[in-house]
Amino acid sequence: MSTQNKAIKEDVWIPTSCGGCYGQCGMLAHRVDGTIVDIKGNPETPAGSGRMCAKGVAQLHTLYDRHRIDYPVKRTNPKKGVHEDPKWERISWEEAMDTIVEKFKTMKDPRGCYFQATTVQTSEIRFAVPAFMRAWGFKNYWVSGGGLWCGNGAHFMNGIMHAAWSIIPDWNYNNYTLYFGCSKGHGAGHAALQTAQWVADARARGMKAVVFDPFLSTQASKAHEWVPIKVGTDAAAALGMINVILNEIEGWDADYLKLKTNAPYLIKPDGHYMRCPDTNKPLIWDDGAGSAKPFDDTSISDGALMGSFDVKGTKCTPSFELLKNHVKENYPLEKAEKITTIPVKTLRRVANEFHDNAQIGSSVTIDGKVLPLRPSAAIFFRGSQGHVNSGWNCLAIDIMNQIVGAADVPGGAMGHGPPVSHGHPDTGKPSTIPYACDDGMMIVKGWVYDHKPYPLREPKPPQRLDLQDMLPCSVYNAFTIMSPDWDKYLKDFKIDYEPEIMINFGSNSVMTMANAEDVTENFLKKFGFIFSFNIYQNEFTEAVADIVLPDASFLERYTPCVTFPSTFCHPTGMDHWVWQIRQPVVEPIAERRDFNEVMLELAKRLGVEEKYYEETNKLIPVRYGGEMEEKYKLKANEHYSWQDICDRVLKDRLGEDRGLEALKKTGLEKWPSKVEEMYWRWFVPVRVPIYFEYFPEFGEKARKLCASFGRENIQDWRFYTPLAEWFPCPSHTETDPELDLTAYCWRPSFHTQSSSQNNPWLDEVSVNDPFVYLIQLNADTGKKKGFKDGDVIWVENKLGRKIKGPVRLVEGMHPEQLGIAGCHGHWARGTPIAKGKGQFFDDLIIVGEEYTDSLTQGSDACVKVKVYKA
Amino acid sequence: MARYGFVIDLKRCYGCYSCQVACKANNHTPQGIDWARCISTETGTYPSALRQMLPMVCQQCAEPACKEVCPTGATLQDENGIVTVDKDVCMGCGYCMMACPYGERQVVEDWKTYFPDAEGDLDVYEAHCKREWEKKNGYGVATKCDFCMDRVKDGQQPACVETCPAKARTFGDLEDPESEISILIRREGAFQLNPEFGTDPSCYYLPVR
Repeated sequence: MSTQNKAIKEDVWIPTSCGGCYGQCGMLAHRVDGTIVDIKGNPETPAGSGRMCAKGVAQLHTLYDRHRIDYPVKRTNPKKGVHEDPKWERISWEEAMDTIVEKFKTMKDPRGCYFQATTVQTSEIRFAVPAFMRAWGFKNYWVSGGGLWCGNGAHFMNGIMHAAWSIIPDWNYNNYTLYFGCSKGHGAGHAALQTAQWVADARARGMKAVVFDPFLSTQASKAHEWVPIKVGTDAAAALGMINVILNEIEGWDADYLKLKTNAPYLIKPDGHYMRCPDTNKPLIWDDGAGSAKPFDDTSISDGALMGSFDVKGTKCTPSFELLKNHVKENYPLEKAEKITTIPVKTLRRVANEFHDNAQIGSSVTIDGKVLPLRPSAAIFFRGSQGHVNSGWNCLAIDIMNQIVGAADVPGGAMGHGPPVSHGHPDTGKPSTIPYACDDGMMIVKGWVYDHKPYPLREPKPPQRLDLQDMLPCSVYNAFTIMSPDWDKYLKDFKIDYEPEIMINFGSNSVMTMANAEDVTENFLKKFGFIFSFNIYQNEFTEAVADIVLPDASFLERYTPCVTFPSTFCHPTGMDHWVWQIRQPVVEPIAERRDFNEVMLELAKRLGVEEKYYEETNKLIPVRYGGEMEEKYKLKANEHYSWQDICDRVLKDRLGEDRGLEALKKTGLEKWPSKVEEMYWRWFVPVRVPIYFEYFPEFGEKARKLCASFGRENIQDWRFYTPLAEWFPCPSHTETDPELDLTAYCWRPSFHTQSSSQNNPWLDEVSVNDPFVYLIQLNADTGKKKGFKDGDVIWVENKLGRKIKGPVRLVEGMHPEQLGIAGCHGHWARGTPIAKGKGQFFDDLIIVGEEYTDSLTQGSDACVKVKVYKA
Repeated sequence: MARYGFVIDLKRCYGCYSCQVACKANNHTPQGIDWARCISTETGTYPSALRQMLPMVCQQCAEPACKEVCPTGATLQDENGIVTVDKDVCMGCGYCMMACPYGERQVVEDWKTYFPDAEGDLDVYEAHCKREWEKKNGYGVATKCDFCMDRVKDGQQPACVETCPAKARTFGDLEDPESEISILIRREGAFQLNPEFGTDPSCYYLPVR
């Protein structure tokens, strides 16, 4: 191209990583004379393998959009609130930083600081954010959308069961995928572009997909079978099918259950493990020897899964038998049908197909290693987790994988990102391998949350403003902070400091946590000072931000690593590991500045630079697996730039000659993966629970703790049960006949939460799409209500909160449900393209203890509504 | 000499619209003009309803209806079967738009910015798009997909083919019996859209099941 046009001085393709969603696909950006004119996938990386989706390509417009924030501004309208005009006034960076520093220095208590970040820029959350938090001394944070859009049940349970953030099927071998409320392989940001190819390949060779979803969604439209299900009833369907597999088919992977789970662990009548009096280890009944032995005794010839055994006068039962009996008694198919609306015969058939496709007993040889082949997988994500039964919904589905041995073996459900990494051949980093606790149960090495999913956190008096640290499995607690009684929670639980400063990094929490008024009035307005890094003025900044700083977008910044910890990018199968960086393809436009640089400057100006370095040195080994070499650690008496830090991280992890300058040339470093990493389950001596022996005990501890503060009933402690259950959402028990539909929301694959709607190309696509900007209602249901396609209708919840929009009558919708694409219906002045397009579902969400998963504190996102013509 | 064609595998396509956006980025089409549209349809009744995505491109017909009706001779067919418009000859009468049974032609009257609410001149990227559009197409004339012939001549794949996450699109020479698309067409039961129109499209589809 450069030879054709003599006027062109520069014509280069720069390798970097997409930041359009959390999938982190490898990207090549075409820069001509300083302007990016094209974007495509980088064929050199397995992360995307040279393809680029609509969101990625559309970033061309997001970079140059004139609605972007180019200068720091301050709020001049002191009034805060949803729909308020902040009356922005441009200020200098100096004034902005001076004001921010002053606010920090005059804080009553540093603990009153709160960090809110976005799920899209996951890489920055790894160490730059927590390093600052620890340096300044506060523990409050939220990753936007957490607990509602993702976060609680799904990631927590995947951590326990797969040492991973998410699960995807191994489509290299999978023949049968059972989908619950997720679109993996169909655009969802879970290794999006690799899985899209693999699913297509698998479909072409005959892989069968069955999708349980209220809506004939994208993934359902591609499946062999769409099974309409009532929202939030996933666990009831899964437990019904487990009942079929265990009690009708009586088919399970005995080897897997005996050696890789606690299925053979003996349970006493009190629900606890029967333990060895000498070693305290849980016991297994050895059928071969006719005696109980510690679970790790190598002489066990045949661990019993069923039966009843007398161990020193106590009657004990293997946990597998308890599960088998539990589903038989409590989840007969007739009951499952009543809850889910899925016919008994469908549940029975799907359970049989799932079991049969698992081919229990079969094996495959990969790279000379013989591995179990289990080409069946049940997967889930947001649809299953956005309910009161968040945790158990996810777990019940995964137990389907566990009982047929289809976990992290060829063809089965795989921990995403593989949680086993032996590291780069030259450095052995990043390395991570799960290990076992004294009971043999798997512990994740390294974790992206503050706490590990197992062992559970000991309930203790809370330190955090959301009381998250008080509850054993909690990840994000919306019910406290978004409650009108937040003050009372803080007082009752004796929190001795107040919310003071919020640092917001890209999050639009007014649109991603709950009803906008609740979020704003009950939570955000309690902060005396909020400053926010953004690329657009959005509903959050306009409602509550005091100062907005113009952030550099991903095409204007450095990130030392986007593919580790590998939460959403490394797929499964024998490919390559890839360490990808992000680099500025263009210098930040106008006065935009990289968030990371600004936070580093802030640490310096607040006098906590040394501590920031110290905490960074502690975080790098956890987040990127493996100790730091002394020479690369950040030194207390030095001053570093963000690029210096990136360079040190890279050299320490990948080797002296792979620093920032070297990586800028290629954008990545890759190395072959091993069978022991990708299909790790049988190579790592760990077990996972099918019986959660420790839940009741931790629930009881938490109950007692809450009772000691006079708030015993803040959660439903029945959820802390050892066996998977289905607990109903309020939508399932609502008795008002007027509220005859259940509204829920879903995620279109060509948008990224609330961040992408101002992109004009994605807007065009959305206009073209028959669903995204419309309310989906079953055609027959709509006709009975007198609606015609395109009629504008109100959707109203029991509190009288309502949203309005044109209805799309479709055959592909469960007759009792109503679907809305989430995170649309923007109203901010700063995003005029997004404004007024689609509906803002979250306004219907009700926050409260009874709308919260008592186990993981995920928020319920299904709401009983009535609908009528506007 | 070749006859360039497309095979779009409906089994692989999952309707992500990446082709539509990549086409916009490569061809700099103005607001509202999409040469690689995706059409979503629903058939059947609950609970056995079916949804289908149909990705479109110009079908580059061997017997193009658009060429037949063109009063000025602006519509040409090159030696590789690609139907093009000579913008200097086209007078924008729009007959071709009406004649094309696949709705793949559009006349653009003027550049409409994507950012009507933004202040000041077009941003550097949109200005680049406008310049590129004007260089190749312009206003008041019929415009259409040309299978990204500039890219093809440069040894690349059409933009929608290169970007497709599901690898649902294959581009190649229909005249070459050993080309990947010829093999796919023979082996996979490919079909043309509305063969009854008699235009003999060069775009083939593979059935969804």
